[in-house]
Amino acid sequence: MSGGAASTPKPLPSSGPKSLREMPHPLATSSSEEMGPALTPSPDLLLPRSIADKDLSLPNGTPVDTSSPASSSSLLNRLQLDDDFDVETRDLFVTVDDPKKHVCTMETYITYRVTTKTTRAEFDLPEYSVRRRYQDFDWLRNKLEESQPTHLIPPLPEKFVVKGVVDRFSEEFVETRRKALDKFLKRITDHPVLSFNEHFNVFLTAKDLNAYKKQGMALLSKMGESVKYVTGGYKLRSRPLEFAAIGDYLDTFSLKLGTIDRIAQRIIKEQLEYLVELREYGPVYSTWGGLEVELSEPLEGVSACIGNCCTALEELSEDMTEDFLPVLREYILYAESMKNVLKKRDQVQAEYEAKLEAVALKREDRPKVPTDVEKCQDRVECFNADLKADMERWQNNKRQDFRQLLMGMADKNIQYYEKCLTAWESIIPLLQDKPETK
Amino acid sequence: MESTEPEPSGSRPEEEEDEEEEEEEEEEEEDDGALLPPKQRLAAMEDCLAKKMEITVSEAEKRTGRNAMNIQETYTAYLIETRAVESQSEGQCAPVESLWRRYSEFELLRNYLSVTYPHIVVPPLPEKRLSADNMDPDFVERRRIGLENFLLRVASHPVLCQDKIFYAFLMQEGGWKEMVNETGFQLKADSRLKALNATFRVKNPDKRFTELKHYSDELQSVISHLLRVRARVADRLYGVYKVHGNYGRVFSEWSAIEKEMGDGLQSAGHHMDVYAASIDDILEEEEHYADQLKEYLFYAEALRAVCRKHELMQYDLEMAAQDLTSKKQQCEELATGTVRTFSLKGMTSKLFGQETPEQREAKIKVLEEQIQEGEEQLKSKNLEGRDFVKSAWADIERFKEQKNHDLKEALISYAVMQISMCKKGIQVWTNAKECFSKM
Repeated sequence: MSGGAASTPKPLPSSGPKSLREMPHPLATSSSEEMGPALTPSPDLLLPRSIADKDLSLPNGTPVDTSSPASSSSLLNRLQLDDDFDVETRDLFVTVDDPKKHVCTMETYITYRVTTKTTRAEFDLPEYSVRRRYQDFDWLRNKLEESQPTHLIPPLPEKFVVKGVVDRFSEEFVETRRKALDKFLKRITDHPVLSFNEHFNVFLTAKDLNAYKKQGMALLSKMGESVKYVTGGYKLRSRPLEFAAIGDYLDTFSLKLGTIDRIAQRIIKEQLEYLVELREYGPVYSTWGGLEVELSEPLEGVSACIGNCCTALEELSEDMTEDFLPVLREYILYAESMKNVLKKRDQVQAEYEAKLEAVALKREDRPKVPTDVEKCQDRVECFNADLKADMERWQNNKRQDFRQLLMGMADKNIQYYEKCLTAWESIIPLLQDKPETK
Repeated sequence: MESTEPEPSGSRPEEEEDEEEEEEEEEEEEDDGALLPPKQRLAAMEDCLAKKMEITVSEAEKRTGRNAMNIQETYTAYLIETRAVESQSEGQCAPVESLWRRYSEFELLRNYLSVTYPHIVVPPLPEKRLSADNMDPDFVERRRIGLENFLLRVASHPVLCQDKIFYAFLMQEGGWKEMVNETGFQLKADSRLKALNATFRVKNPDKRFTELKHYSDELQSVISHLLRVRARVADRLYGVYKVHGNYGRVFSEWSAIEKEMGDGLQSAGHHMDVYAASIDDILEEEEHYADQLKEYLFYAEALRAVCRKHELMQYDLEMAAQDLTSKKQQCEELATGTVRTFSLKGMTSKLFGQETPEQREAKIKVLEEQIQEGEEQLKSKNLEGRDFVKSAWADIERFKEQKNHDLKEALISYAVMQISMCKKGIQVWTNAKECFSKM
């Protein structure tokens, strides 16, 4: 949905969101309270707009002077949120799988298969299968940040890996990365605005992505441009309460996640040291068994049992390293990028306030607020609305993600203890066994 | 489990009765899954004093006093309580008798038993000294249990339980030390036994004893190794559990900034605290297992001592035989006038003139007396040796069965401990999972 020849989305024949025309205007009741108190709503806010206008006036579309972006995006978001819980209405499915190693003269790298299934009109075909490497994902993320600066873009797994410390081509590393890339695309897919982004479309569909990349700036959205050129020269006096609260929340959130990451790493370290000792412990029983006659089998049994516990512990540590830690780190990165978006928002507001002040100082007898200032106001309102909407959906997803993550951690520990329990219970009869002859 | 009767101890009137009772006790044990407390298990296995009398080391107390060199010292005294086991029909409980003993007196008792019954694998005492403090309450408590165990072991031994010095140790506070010293056992003690690693070249070693000595060395080595590694394993496990406690705190802090997730996080954090705290009890239980292994570490030494004594006996026997042979040879040479072997005496007599016939006669007479004495001694030494082998081997068989039984029990209880630990772990994480699910 970039500027230029954007087609009007048609209501889809079978599934898909209902045509906006058909739905009662959700803003029919009160919604002006949703606007931040600091800003005067644009006079055209409450007028219902046509779908086409609304869609075209989305923050990443061509800005219209009398747009009411706040209402449209929050409207769409609200609808989309409902749709999230109804899987049948989803019309875009993306998966990342099948990592493959490519060895070339200049370099060796991994590509992943990105499969798309969709009924959306923006896509020419119902199915696509392309291969992408990490730098393609990185390019996509940068493009999204540029073109959708008012939205929270999901994080990518870390780019740089210290060579020698981690093996970039090991199965575990590749699998961990694959899962993170898959999560990244799914988060974009689930986003009502980002999923319609042109770059995203190209990423999913183009056979030759590199050719497209070279086209560069041409498709940069107007909004993107406008926000991009906001200079950092303006200083915000104070952040509105709700955004200050978000900022504080993100700060504490990152801090706590950081602590949890350290604790989890420490636990893994302690477990591995425990494992080292266990590995020496088991065989001593076996050695002893070799000295004995009647006790030989029981001692061997204990030795084997400890061996099984070692295996179970190894699996637990591996699982935690591969599944738990990466997700924690992802959220820490997420929080960081979100804080940056908050700062950008501050800058946009600062510019607006500065320009507004400048106009007030001039005290010219003009009935109408200059277009320039109005544009700034629009930008602020739009940004605030998008950000709030994204925060809400982020909070929801975060809750689900952590619920799943922590339940997974509990599960892995339960499985570990169950394996050990089975091992010890199975040798009790062996230990109690009395030899037949005396 | 049947114990073979040690042969030379003479008949025991209660034999048959006791065997039956033993079997009954055995079946009881099996039904209980071999989880009777140690005291009762030991008493059930053997009869003798342990069956007729309840013995406990019930208390430990710090004392100060003056020692032999009139220097003030602090030591710990242990209270030994005994009570005769009355038959059920009488109903009334016999009175408890008690006296105090300190560790050095236990040592004296054990030394006495070792010397007096060299063919018996004498039960070991708990460790002499821990690296740190003898006054440390944990150490004192473990020692108290170990001393009680020692007394029960001796009281359950078919031979040792009948010893009067042992009985006096339990019943007679005053004058016991003098009584022990009057037995003169220290004179019998072979100082050579203290030189543990000195080798005595025995020409015809008893293969069984050689193998047994080798086994006891290996056993000591492997149990030491096991105890060391087990201690390290316990340390590491402690670390794993305790770090989880940090989750408790951070989840609590995190829950403060969350709306819907808050409660779930907070309550899960509580379970993490429970998890972290649970390791203390788990490891304390494991210490009992370590103590059981330690007992057999020290038992291995007692076993080795028996082998050593046999070795020395054999050595003395061979020396005596060798001495006899050379005396016989000397006698023959003097009688026949032929010198078969080179000797300084022979040379000097050649150089300085032969002895007079009277001198030679006198010498022969002395030698003949010595030879007769020597032959008698050799005979009795041989007999002694055979008796020793017989009775030692009987006690070794008894010991082997006891060891196999006890160690199996110990392994079972260890497995049970591990199972309990796993179940606790599953419980805690299941609770935590439920809290997470409510997030």
